[in-house]
Amino acid sequence: MVQAVKRVVIVGGGTAGWLAAGIIAAKHRSRIPASFSVTLVESPNTPIIGVGEGTWPTLRTTLSRIGVSETELFRQCDAAFKQGAWFARWTTGEKHDGYYHPLMLPQNFSQINLVPHWLAKNDGRSFCDAVCPQGRICDDGLAPKTIATAEYEALANYSYHLDAGKFAPFLQKHCCEKLGVRHVLADVRRVHLSENGDIRSLETEQAGEIEGDLFVDCTGFKALLIGETLGVPFVDCSDVLFCDTALAIQVPHATDTSPIASHTISTAQSAGWIWDIGLPTRRGVGHVFSSRHISVDDAERELRDYIGPAGKDLPMRRIPIRSGHRQIFWKRNCVAVGLSAGFLEPLESSAIVLIEMSAKLIAEQMPVCREVMDVIAARFNNTTEYRWGRIIDFLKLHYALTQRDDSAFWRDNRLPETIPERLQHLMLLWRYQSPWYHDEFDRIEEVFPAASYQYVLYGMGFRTEVEPDIVAGAANSAERAMRENLAQIDKLRAGLPRHRDLIRKIVQHGLQPV
Amino acid sequence: MSSMTNHQLLNPQDHGHLRLLPRAGAEPHFAQIVPREFVAAAIACPILFSKDPATGAFYAGAMLGLKPGEGALKNIEERGGFEPLSLQRDGFFISGERIAIDRANPRFSETDGELLFDDAQPSTSLRRVQQVLGQLHEGLEQTAVLVRDLMNLKLLEPIDVSLNFDDGERLRLEGLYTVSRDSLRELEDEHVLRLFRSGHLQLAYTIAGSINQLAILAHLRNRKLAEI
Repeated sequence: MVQAVKRVVIVGGGTAGWLAAGIIAAKHRSRIPASFSVTLVESPNTPIIGVGEGTWPTLRTTLSRIGVSETELFRQCDAAFKQGAWFARWTTGEKHDGYYHPLMLPQNFSQINLVPHWLAKNDGRSFCDAVCPQGRICDDGLAPKTIATAEYEALANYSYHLDAGKFAPFLQKHCCEKLGVRHVLADVRRVHLSENGDIRSLETEQAGEIEGDLFVDCTGFKALLIGETLGVPFVDCSDVLFCDTALAIQVPHATDTSPIASHTISTAQSAGWIWDIGLPTRRGVGHVFSSRHISVDDAERELRDYIGPAGKDLPMRRIPIRSGHRQIFWKRNCVAVGLSAGFLEPLESSAIVLIEMSAKLIAEQMPVCREVMDVIAARFNNTTEYRWGRIIDFLKLHYALTQRDDSAFWRDNRLPETIPERLQHLMLLWRYQSPWYHDEFDRIEEVFPAASYQYVLYGMGFRTEVEPDIVAGAANSAERAMRENLAQIDKLRAGLPRHRDLIRKIVQHGLQPV
Repeated sequence: MSSMTNHQLLNPQDHGHLRLLPRAGAEPHFAQIVPREFVAAAIACPILFSKDPATGAFYAGAMLGLKPGEGALKNIEERGGFEPLSLQRDGFFISGERIAIDRANPRFSETDGELLFDDAQPSTSLRRVQQVLGQLHEGLEQTAVLVRDLMNLKLLEPIDVSLNFDDGERLRLEGLYTVSRDSLRELEDEHVLRLFRSGHLQLAYTIAGSINQLAILAHLRNRKLAEI
């Protein structure tokens, strides 16, 4: 007789736990509660870390599938729109050095690679502005849609900045009220294993013993199940990504009509970088740095200098960063999602997107019985390890391309022994051919598409040799795409509201579901 | 068109000699209507929903023409006498409990047309306007209830209209919504009964059926293009 998988037990009630609960429960809604259950066990005493206020556009699809209202997200989580990131002083470190990594694809991306054409043209226009309107929209502080655009639909691609401390309770309410997730507030005292080494049950302080067929470890850095119980080792990657500490400060807006940036601002410092994220209620500002390259006191000084007089005397939180991930993510009947699986500096908001992707994979490939679980686990491990590798490569790319020479931090970041071999090969390849639609990125669900690599490479002054014949052959279509881009810039700038105005309208009137 | 307006609260002291002319000027290609007008509208034009650009809220409208700025394709007679209340009330507004007028509207004259007041009492023509405003006011609330009902049952859906004309022009109508016939068919019995009792089922089918008028308008427009 096969051992059916019917009881999913999620441990941990942060963003990872509730997102995983929502994604799994929504996918299996028709089986709940008759033949399937999702239980989330959360300690009433553990504070939620609430990392990552930046998200990726996948979250729109995820939330829409879970069935939450986008209007309510804005009302309850102090959400704002995010249309990409502005990277200041990453290339040369000079005052006006900066580039956008927008969320819209370059014009006609599936038909034509505009990189060689833009390189050949060399007319002083930035790559982003030549191929997509989003940088200009962000410059103007505009929202990516209007009050008449339906929920989750966009005129310009977007994701969110949100208050992670409010996001988890928001999801919790929906999961429990609408999706039939069972919520147990209890501290896990012990984890009981079966003879075969599977997790059999959790012994809790307040709710007795909780049995399950599949356990999802969302216990954060503690990694109670995957690490402490099952002993899966942690693979450190601080030899590639040096930042190991963050200092975070919440900065109030000057007035409640102050403009809100609709992109993340990331400004490079002497031994790290500062994030600056605008919510309707406040700005979240933080310094991520390598304590091997700068003292905490100096890092704090750089952060307070960045904020200016507005940040004087504001309280600061110190967060240790341990860059790396589990050697495997799914062992026996336990799978890790969120910080228990790993963590990387929030340079490209990869934390929440990885939670979504992992939970989606679990939900879609939910093993029917224990007998096939190891097959699914192997697949999951393979895909997830690939994803962590690609995120590490992509983050490192931002550092590897720098021309800054002003500190050991930036010089060390260019040392070949700190650059993963795969990335070194790609950087060699890209000197002769630019990344595009189908050449390098073969997985169906890449965390970062080829377009992201284009924006970072050519935003940071990378040069790819241009073959004149290739440029000449498609010159007309490239011209047309760039002309269409100019027309789209004008159209969007004329029609889009100011970012704060739209958020105010959403809170007041709501967006329509269609 | 002048954008100058001059709003005044209507009263017999100030407006005892004021006269009202029939509405003049081109009709808009899309005019707001309320549920009590749906049946009359549907015999002549498509009924579609659009969104208020300021709030995103849905409102119902009759499509009188196909292109902004081109006006209506049928005159009132060709529409079986149907004239949207929102056009009939041109120049008049509700301000709290009272009626206001835009004195700058060319409908108002000191010399021509019908008097608004007879001996300080509303004249027949003003009473007609009062009735129109009352029906509109009530109708807006009925529209809000209808929209909420349709939304809750996921019956509203965006409609993309793309029309090709004989002169080679291709017209795309965006930002319009209709009632989904497929979703209507899939309604559960309890919802059907409730919708029927509230009168919303008939309105829903009236809206869905009126889509056929789009082709008729397109045909008319083609014929007019040929006449030019």
